[in-house]
Amino acid sequence: MTSPVSTGVSYTPTVIASQLVSYLNADQSQQATLETQLSSGNLVNQPSDNPAAASTILAANSSLARAQEYSSNASDASAWLSLGTSTLNSVISALQSAKQSVMALSGNALSNSQAAVQGTAATLQSVLSQVTALANTTYGNQAIFAGTGNVSVAYDASGNYVGGGSAPTRTVGPGVSVAIAATGPAVFGSGSSGLLGSTGILSKLISDVTTGTPASIATATTTDIAALNSALQNVTSQAGVLGATYQSVQTFATQATNVQTALQTQMSAVDSVNIAQATTALTQSQNAYQAGLWATAQIEQHSLVTYL
Amino acid sequence: MSNIGLDIAASGVNAAQTAMDTIAQNLSNTNTPGYVSETANLTALSSGEQSGVGGGVAVASVTQNNDSLLAANAAQTSAALAQSTALQQTLQQAQLAFGNPSSSTGLGADLSSFWQSWNQLSTNPTSQADLQAVVDSAQTVTTDLSQASGQIAGASANASSQLAATVGQANTLLSQVASLNNQIIKQGATGTSVSSLSDQQNQLLTQLASDIGATWTASPNGSVNVAVGGVTLVQGNWSDTLAVNNTGSASTPNLQLVAQSSKVALNASSGTTAGLLAAVNVYLPSYQSQLNSVASNLATSVNTVLSNGFTTSGAPGVDMFTSSGSGGLTAANISVNPSIVANPSLIATASTSSLPAATNDGSNAQALANLYNSPSGPDAAWRTAVVNVGSQVSQINNQVQAQTATSNAAQQNLQSVTGVNQNTALVELMNFQSTYQAAAKVITTVDTALQSLLAAV
Repeated sequence: MTSPVSTGVSYTPTVIASQLVSYLNADQSQQATLETQLSSGNLVNQPSDNPAAASTILAANSSLARAQEYSSNASDASAWLSLGTSTLNSVISALQSAKQSVMALSGNALSNSQAAVQGTAATLQSVLSQVTALANTTYGNQAIFAGTGNVSVAYDASGNYVGGGSAPTRTVGPGVSVAIAATGPAVFGSGSSGLLGSTGILSKLISDVTTGTPASIATATTTDIAALNSALQNVTSQAGVLGATYQSVQTFATQATNVQTALQTQMSAVDSVNIAQATTALTQSQNAYQAGLWATAQIEQHSLVTYL
Repeated sequence: MSNIGLDIAASGVNAAQTAMDTIAQNLSNTNTPGYVSETANLTALSSGEQSGVGGGVAVASVTQNNDSLLAANAAQTSAALAQSTALQQTLQQAQLAFGNPSSSTGLGADLSSFWQSWNQLSTNPTSQADLQAVVDSAQTVTTDLSQASGQIAGASANASSQLAATVGQANTLLSQVASLNNQIIKQGATGTSVSSLSDQQNQLLTQLASDIGATWTASPNGSVNVAVGGVTLVQGNWSDTLAVNNTGSASTPNLQLVAQSSKVALNASSGTTAGLLAAVNVYLPSYQSQLNSVASNLATSVNTVLSNGFTTSGAPGVDMFTSSGSGGLTAANISVNPSIVANPSLIATASTSSLPAATNDGSNAQALANLYNSPSGPDAAWRTAVVNVGSQVSQINNQVQAQTATSNAAQQNLQSVTGVNQNTALVELMNFQSTYQAAAKVITTVDTALQSLLAAV
């Protein structure tokens, strides 16, 4: 309420009436503002309410939306990475069982029965198909070891890699992009040093074991096992990489959550109505309005006329 | 004893009567708009008698309690207020185009959803549902922009029609002032009071000041000359008419108020018309162009990234935002490329054209999602526009508030001179009543004295 300009003014009824009406209007507009704030819960309901705060709110909302994306990307990345790690662990144990069965063959070098050879060959065959199946593991409907090159499979039925050359990535923080999987060749190798396919280490093992001659068994238990060991080491180290990435993604997920909290706190500081304060102000304004109404009703009830 | 006493007493009765009549007129017009209170100016008369006794009292004149300085000040402040109020109303309407910053709807929020849909697509570039979601959110954004543009165009159209209505009213007022001038000159020449005509004239001039920012000068014969920005619109019984001319185009208007006889464009700095002209010529086109720059910024940033990318089949990316009409891309005509709407798989999500690497590559979609916080991107342009509009509306709101107080004070100052204070008037009435009674008493006393003299003869 603005204070009346009283100096030197002779209060004619018109002056008094126009002052009272302008006070009533001011009270009403203040009440309307407070009621809008209370009903919306926001201090800024149109840009002109507080232009600087409007900009802050828009920027914070936009960053908040982005932080939610980082969170959702991080949880997607975690799912890919944890699936990748557990898949590679299964590959590792499959390969270890292959290695053990071949080593058992070398321990029984003198008494290699046809049955033992066949049994080992069958084990190796099953490991090959198991590892090929694991290499085609999908998350949702996407093959996780296919890089960006194929949606649904990484290796075809003959064990040839049909995916792309680089792993998919997720943005988990501003400017931070992490690979959420490894490509098939990176994990399983390729060509004769690779695990899969007709020329791969497992196929070579199967063929050497199946041949069954002492020379071929010797090759299987020395050269082939050495190749298998090196491939196994590679898979293990890739599993380690995925596991480490998983840990860092967890950190980014926490970071994104912290950012969201900070942004919400900031927005609430700029934009949230202090209910107690606003309610008190509204009550005061209503009281002033009622007093104004009363005063207006009293206009000109009394003048000198009454007493003449 | 001479009978001069009776004459003096009679003049007192007459003067008191006129003074009470004047007060009665004032009291009756307490609430008459534009009424200027009157005062009976009394003057003592000399009789020319050698004894030095005066000749009683006479009403020299009945004058209006006008104060041209206060009246001009009141008109000026109300014209300035009218200008700001007209601008405020138009800008507040235009501000609606920029939405509620706290709300989860509006362009700001929809742009965020747009970027989120790109992020979602980047995780699964071949998903038809995610591709469709990008198209849908792009269409929401273009609808927001064209609605905002339409809102501003609507505010401009409203302001233009209000301008035409105000000018029409001003033309009527101008011709009324000229006709009142004529009456005042004629009636003044016969020596009759022109007070009531002056009151009417005051009202018309006050209205003209707040409508078109008119200023006036009074002539000694009681007529007034009205001018706006130095261009005379009423002189004596002649009046000009005003028209609104558009020297710009329909889309970028440049409206002017033109005096019809001199063909001169008025340079009014106050009044409703000045506020509306500023809104239509300056403020609203600036808002429209800020919206257009948000639209072109959005189209350029998104289309540039898409043109660097490839579809999952390795085909080069196509533009997402195009103009639906002829001419440049604006907020009003921005739309989603119809071929993308028909086939969302044309969206370039991959950053390589080589196969099979592009088949499930979402890195270009991720690059698009990253545009959200580009310092020169559409979000930043939108925030700048919101802050510009918000600041201007907030400034004009404050201006209106300050000018309302100033204008009220000026009106009250004027009222305290020209208005009628009942208590003061009643006290004066009692004074003159007792003057009247005293003078009447003198008459009876002189009469009694004469009677007693006659009886003694």
